[in-house]
Amino acid sequence: MSEQMESIRVVLREGFAHVGRLLRAHKWAFTLAASGAIAFATSIVVAAVVIGRVSEELIIPVLDGGEPLENRWIGAVLAIGAVALFKGLGIILRRTAAGWLQFRSQADMRYRLIAHQLGLKLSWFNRQSTGDLLAVTETDARQATFILAPLPFATGATVLLVITTAIVTMIDVWMGLLAISFLVVTIVIDVFGTRRVFADFEKVQQTRGKVSGLAHESFDGALTVKSLGREDYETERMRQASDGLRDDIIVVTRIWAFYRAIVESLPTATIIVLLVVGVVRINSGDLGSGDLITVTYLVSLLTWPIRMIAFVLWDMSESLAGWRRVERILEVGEFVEHGSLMATPADSGAAVAGDEVAFGYVPEERILSDVRWDIPAGRTIAVVGATGSGKSTLAMLLARLWDPDTGEISLDGRDLRAFARSELPREVAFVAQESFLFDDDVTGNIALGGKSGSEAVQTAARLAVADEFIAELPHGFETQLGERGTTLSGGQRQRIALARALVRRPRLLILDDATSSVDSSVETEILRGLKRADLPSTVVIVAHRRSSIMLADEIVFLADGRIRAHGTHDELLAAEPGYARLLEAYEEDLARRDEERQQAEAVT
Amino acid sequence: MSDIATRTALRRVFGIAPALVKGLWLTLGLFTIGTTMQIIVPVVVQQVIDYEVLDPDGVDIEGVLWRGGIALIVVVVAAFAAKLAFVRLAIAAATGLSDLRVATFRHLHRLSMLHVQGERRGALVARVTSDIATIQDFMEWGGVGLVIGISQVLLAVGVMVFYRWQLALLVVLGVLIYVLLVAWFQKILSRAHDKVRLRVADALAAMGEAISGLEAVRAFGAEDATLSKVSKTLDAQFEEEFRTGRLGAFLFSSAEVFAGAITASVVGVGVWLGAAEGVTAGTLVAFLFLVNLLVDPVQLLVETLDQAQTAGAGIRRILDVLDTEVDVPDPVDGVDLPPGRLEVAIEGVRFRYPTGDDVLSEVDAHIGAGARVAVVGETGSGKTTFAKLVTRLLDPAEGRVRVGGVSADEIKFSSLRRRVAFVPQEGFLFDTTVANNVRYGKPDASDAEILAAFDDLGLGDWVQGLPNGVDTEVGERGGNVSAGERQLVALTRAWITDPDLLVLDEATSAVDPALEVQLRRAIERLTGGRTSITVAHRLSTAEASDEIFVFDAGRLVERGGHAALVDAGGVYASLHADWASSTST
Repeated sequence: MSEQMESIRVVLREGFAHVGRLLRAHKWAFTLAASGAIAFATSIVVAAVVIGRVSEELIIPVLDGGEPLENRWIGAVLAIGAVALFKGLGIILRRTAAGWLQFRSQADMRYRLIAHQLGLKLSWFNRQSTGDLLAVTETDARQATFILAPLPFATGATVLLVITTAIVTMIDVWMGLLAISFLVVTIVIDVFGTRRVFADFEKVQQTRGKVSGLAHESFDGALTVKSLGREDYETERMRQASDGLRDDIIVVTRIWAFYRAIVESLPTATIIVLLVVGVVRINSGDLGSGDLITVTYLVSLLTWPIRMIAFVLWDMSESLAGWRRVERILEVGEFVEHGSLMATPADSGAAVAGDEVAFGYVPEERILSDVRWDIPAGRTIAVVGATGSGKSTLAMLLARLWDPDTGEISLDGRDLRAFARSELPREVAFVAQESFLFDDDVTGNIALGGKSGSEAVQTAARLAVADEFIAELPHGFETQLGERGTTLSGGQRQRIALARALVRRPRLLILDDATSSVDSSVETEILRGLKRADLPSTVVIVAHRRSSIMLADEIVFLADGRIRAHGTHDELLAAEPGYARLLEAYEEDLARRDEERQQAEAVT
Repeated sequence: MSDIATRTALRRVFGIAPALVKGLWLTLGLFTIGTTMQIIVPVVVQQVIDYEVLDPDGVDIEGVLWRGGIALIVVVVAAFAAKLAFVRLAIAAATGLSDLRVATFRHLHRLSMLHVQGERRGALVARVTSDIATIQDFMEWGGVGLVIGISQVLLAVGVMVFYRWQLALLVVLGVLIYVLLVAWFQKILSRAHDKVRLRVADALAAMGEAISGLEAVRAFGAEDATLSKVSKTLDAQFEEEFRTGRLGAFLFSSAEVFAGAITASVVGVGVWLGAAEGVTAGTLVAFLFLVNLLVDPVQLLVETLDQAQTAGAGIRRILDVLDTEVDVPDPVDGVDLPPGRLEVAIEGVRFRYPTGDDVLSEVDAHIGAGARVAVVGETGSGKTTFAKLVTRLLDPAEGRVRVGGVSADEIKFSSLRRRVAFVPQEGFLFDTTVANNVRYGKPDASDAEILAAFDDLGLGDWVQGLPNGVDTEVGERGGNVSAGERQLVALTRAWITDPDLLVLDEATSAVDPALEVQLRRAIERLTGGRTSITVAHRLSTAEASDEIFVFDAGRLVERGGHAALVDAGGVYASLHADWASSTST
């Protein structure tokens, strides 16, 4: 019990701090919403008073006392109508302003999250799961700001509670005490009940996650399941998980139903007791019949707003939990540091040098150590090495996707880290093996926020040997790509990504296995085209195919994170037995990818 | 029309998961009893005012206590009934939906879309998770609201009619007008919600690609463009949400305004009718309470009906899955495969996916028992499809596949899956131990058998070298071990089933050379002495086979031994030349 109290206290303290921060950002919206809620609360009280007056001064005298009606009804009807209208206006004001507050805060928080993450180092991203990060932006940001919707109502409900207490006590002290003690009991039970139920409900969510994980695994392994005839076994696994979920849901519902029954019957019981006590007080001449109706009517209208307070306290702890996950990301300070150097785009390749470069994704595990190179401007260099030798890492370092742990990489003598944000990509283009397509059309995907004209985009597409298949797409260059657009094969995606790099006319072009999914004949065509086009670029290419490697002016052979040898193909063949063995291994890897591509294409 | 569709859909679902409606009538009855809790207040108010407060003989305290006592008992009974009803409904919903989930899951595993349309798997998972959850939520929240709302409205109207039918008529008319208004408004609102959903999807997509595409964004310096896209979609979402919120605010406030208008009319008409028409003071005051019991549930009901449509959509998506015919069914009166190593005959086989051109056509071939066949071909030539047809993971559109002389579609699954093993290219591992993954091929295999299987394939040292030997946890999708190691486990899994026909989609992970050697050796042992069909990517595999099938554009164009095919100078010869030129110096 005391533990629970303690945690409620923590939740309240930190929850109020979190909510306070949100409200300070949009004071006016909250003020408006709260005013609406208070107007609503006031109108509930006024409505009860009006009903009490109408009963005492109109209904009872006319219907029971036999007094003549005359025009007395007009005032009553107008008063009831006016109060309802006022109540309605209060609701509109509250909901509109609260909606604005909630949705605006949610958009702001999401924007902050994305903007923040766009500046963080890849080394940080490497330690996160993309799914988790997206969940924070989607689910947690919504959860963190959801509290803003019911908060003004709860504020109004609190005001209502205070006014009610005052009015009922003013009317009759005994009835006031009775009403208040019942209300307090209701709220306390509701708060505890809600907390307990929702804590159990989180367990249900975890079980739900397990069921979902099982379905994912089982469906992903469908081929294995089927070929071994284990469908029944899988179904049994699912039945057990699903029934476990069923049992958890039932347990929660039992508790929930219990509290619900108590909390819903308490106000009704309160009203009945109030009526009995009220009649006794009327009998002793301490209370008017109109007052009794006012009190009863008021308490009957209170039920829902009072329950709102319990819900908001729960929402607060939920919101706080969401905010804590959001905050964990916003607090990360591992930003990519940028200098102030501006790019100098030019129609000439840039020389790339590395000096004593060492790097590891985790400190204990060096991927590259003591690597030096000096690539003269305009040369085409192939980087060759076994899986895990560090070629891709080297390529990413050249594009400054990562920074070396020690040493320096420079472009025409300028340290990569000296460039201002977004400046380096104006001189350097990096094409990864996995090409990411954005939710945009072909032109947008190639230009990618740059200012390239459509002619430049088309030229780049031609160079990337992408023009033919683009022409065959439903809307040519206007065809929508990305997750929700036309599906492209791996090779086609890679060619779009390549065009994206070429359209920038980079001074350093880095191709990290960027044509691996393209048929070898097409790849040769691409690479020959690049040569013929006489691109003003220094080209660094990580490749597996012999034909691509042969096109390079020079080959850098990496082994165990060091440059084992460099020179022309023939020189390396003569000097490095490892190099020849590697080319053999590459061929086999290539065959595997060809097969994967075939499968992918068989599907589409 | 959609109502009719929803009703039929519901009937189907109740047929599949009868637990959903088990004891439903009793549950509904209990809910109705539970609702009396709401009705009791106006009734007590009327009783106390008419018979006690306004009684010319004065208040009879004992009578008041009696009335109050009875009312309290009613409240307690109603609370119990409500709790019971709620629990009963939850049990029915949870049980029925669990059954529905399992049924859907089982059916999906019978279909081949899981392995044919890999990119739809995520959506199919949603059938057994979020779609079911939508229905569950509806039943527990919306459904309860619906039941309570309806019984509350019925009870309230009943009490009103009992008191004074003229006033009841007035209230019902007022509420009817309100229902029409809300229903009309709800349509506008649900259109607005649809727009919100579109904007939400846009914003989520923009945020998603900013994070998953971060590397590309950074490599191309597209941070500003990305951020401005995110900002734009977030603002668009906000605008739409705010607009919809405003509409909702009007709808919400209308309930209060209507309640006020109806209350005012009841007071006006009530006093005008007067005591002569039998309207007592207590009755009229009771009406004021009753009006509030009508308007709120009516609004809730209309909203719930909208939710019901969403749940209905979930139900229909699930039924779509359940209605999809099993494309490769287990034969009804299937036969067992004959004993011994199995031969395979392919007779005039053609295959195509529902949407698309032929993947394979006019394939005729025979593979003798114990023969070792390699299948080669260019990208998209139909090799993998051929492998799936032989193992009856797919059925041909035309022609026939015979295994052991029996038409494949007449072989009992239990026999077929035990005797014919298929090792897919990607060695898929489940999130459990190495031993359990091998046991997946033979559920009753002992640990000793599993160790022996690894030894047989020359992998004993490798498996002992794992952190916990065969008890090593492989992690989600085998993520704790390398691709090559996953393949080793998959091969052992096939070995332990001791198949008489082995179909292997060769996976050549260019991993570390030591593992490569082990893979080769394991495959050799596995294929030795049994009929085997290997989809080959290595020249060496093809060379070592008894016969090579060469596929080109969905046709079996050449077959024969390695040397003969090279000499023939056809497709295989040019494939071979490609291989040779890219490997030799």
